[in-house]
Amino acid sequence: MKKTSWQTAATLLSLLLVALVVAGCPKQPSPTAGAGTGAEGAPGGAGAGAGGAGAGGGAGGVGTAPSGQVGEGGAGGRGGGLASTPPGSVPGAQVSPREFVEAISLRDIHFDYDRYDIKSEHAKALEENAKWLKSNARTLVLVEGHADERGTNEYNLALGERRAKTTRDYLMSLGVEGARISIISYGEERPTCKEGNEPCWGKNRRAHFLTRP
Amino acid sequence: MKSRLLACLLLLGAGFFSVLALPVDLHPQASDVYLNILASGAKKLNIAIPEFARPAGQDPMGFAKRLPEITANDLNFSGLFSVVSGHAPLPSAPDALKKALADFPGAHALLQGSLTIQGEKLMVEIRLIDLTGAEPRPILAKVYDAQARDHRRMAHKISDEVVYQFTGERGIADTRIAYASTASGAKEIYMMDYDGFNVVQLTKNGSINLSPAWRPDGHALAFTSFQRDFPQLFVLFPYEGRQQLLQAWPGVNIAPAWSPDGESLAYTLSKDGNPEIYVLRTRTGEIRRLTNHRGIDTDPTWSPTGREIAFTSDRGGTPQVYIADAEGANVRRLTFEGGYSVQPRWSPRGDRLVYTSRQGGFDLWSINVDGSNLTRLTAGGNNESASWAPNGRHLVFASRRTGRWQIFTMLADGSEPQQMTRDRGEATSPAWSPRIP
Repeated sequence: MKKTSWQTAATLLSLLLVALVVAGCPKQPSPTAGAGTGAEGAPGGAGAGAGGAGAGGGAGGVGTAPSGQVGEGGAGGRGGGLASTPPGSVPGAQVSPREFVEAISLRDIHFDYDRYDIKSEHAKALEENAKWLKSNARTLVLVEGHADERGTNEYNLALGERRAKTTRDYLMSLGVEGARISIISYGEERPTCKEGNEPCWGKNRRAHFLTRP
Repeated sequence: MKSRLLACLLLLGAGFFSVLALPVDLHPQASDVYLNILASGAKKLNIAIPEFARPAGQDPMGFAKRLPEITANDLNFSGLFSVVSGHAPLPSAPDALKKALADFPGAHALLQGSLTIQGEKLMVEIRLIDLTGAEPRPILAKVYDAQARDHRRMAHKISDEVVYQFTGERGIADTRIAYASTASGAKEIYMMDYDGFNVVQLTKNGSINLSPAWRPDGHALAFTSFQRDFPQLFVLFPYEGRQQLLQAWPGVNIAPAWSPDGESLAYTLSKDGNPEIYVLRTRTGEIRRLTNHRGIDTDPTWSPTGREIAFTSDRGGTPQVYIADAEGANVRRLTFEGGYSVQPRWSPRGDRLVYTSRQGGFDLWSINVDGSNLTRLTAGGNNESASWAPNGRHLVFASRRTGRWQIFTMLADGSEPQQMTRDRGEATSPAWSPRIP
């Protein structure tokens, strides 16, 4: 086969040196490109030969789980700042659930599947709860909203929130001061039973009450 | 001709490789190979991946065997390749190679590797060879090095390169999946390689943590956490080992979703009376409200253009999927079948969404953006919480089909489901990372 002089030169050169490169050029060559072998590092640290710094440590270098302490505010992570958090509420306005205890005198009420309206059969229980709360006028109450395990976790957190809210609204309509009632949703995350059948699901679709004397 | 030689020199990339048959054409169209194979009626490209050769030295950990196995697994997983692997290394001298290839009739491509070990450091030279022509034709030669502990990542990078050569789009083997697991007793956020290896626990606060969402640069994960007793939004930086509180409004702060440019975060707050969707500009802290309806609005997901957001709303009486523009206007309903359709996730390709629907049990469905082509992807066993791989070809999701919640993957048409976790507890809420830079 005939070859041009350039082709011969190219072939000879290749026998000495060349690495084939194709379209989709590799990342910036390392300083020793053409001489060294270290090129595409699969990084534990920064990728060798890559343009920028590696993603702070790649697979091998993943940090151990951070402690439970949260560093608040502060500069954002690499690649873009995140504004310091607006707490979004007056400090101290949200009483921690940890300050509340189980309220023996206040009964749970339950909801239909995927609903957050108060059923008429539960109106009585709420009236009794309201009565108790009005005669213990300084007690704070926390209404927890829950959902059964069916459906998605995020939607169930929203559903639990609506259940807690309609319960609170109903108590307020019965004369309990809104300032005494806080709400929290646990979605499907804190079930009272786990049997995975309708009786259990019905139990989990609830508003639950705690008090702080 | 002169400029071609110059181009050859200028494009020196990876390192030394002795090439015995240099084609004049330095940019062989590997993607044409793949397209031609598909055009001929084959569904997958047949590739042979023998064990790597070891020119010298000991390999007590068996990397010459393990590395190509991982790469072979990645290429099988991709759905694009049919892999034959595990055989002894083939010779590299062209005549000997051609002879040895007689044992692999029907192979369209060959991936050869040569492994050198120096202490804790591995170096691999790979050659990718097209076998569809009269003569074996090298497509790519490249050198990789890594610490031994990062050998899996090296193998993933090799398979991603092979996918890139043939399809023009990088593979997704070098990605991670974040998810929630109760293995420790409490629901915490974890991360693993896409294939289930290298599990790392990212939160350890003993409360309830869920809904991880990767920022598009892959460096940050937003998630919902009760670590301060209320459902609030945090961001964790998995490669820096730290967290930051992001949103702590009264009520819920849930369901985070980053915009494609990484500058905004859509999520759900109930601070104004009931769960609505808001968008946070992360650099400035500025928030704007997207929905305004007395029911539940949640589960935001962005189109890849960032111009539209799909979400769940019960404004029609039951939870269904709606689409609005990124300002919240022009709301239209997307789903009409069944009484419960939630958790929409917009494909990175932009053309359709996958979502969770209850029609009997909970299953994953997909639908085109224009509402056509409604397709059921899973059939039974309770399946939810899908997340797209960055190439839009795979989905990761949670399924209870084995009796406990575990993480599964499948192709975007619902085929080839594979279990990815064998969690001691229950694994849910998966999120597929971007390609790791």
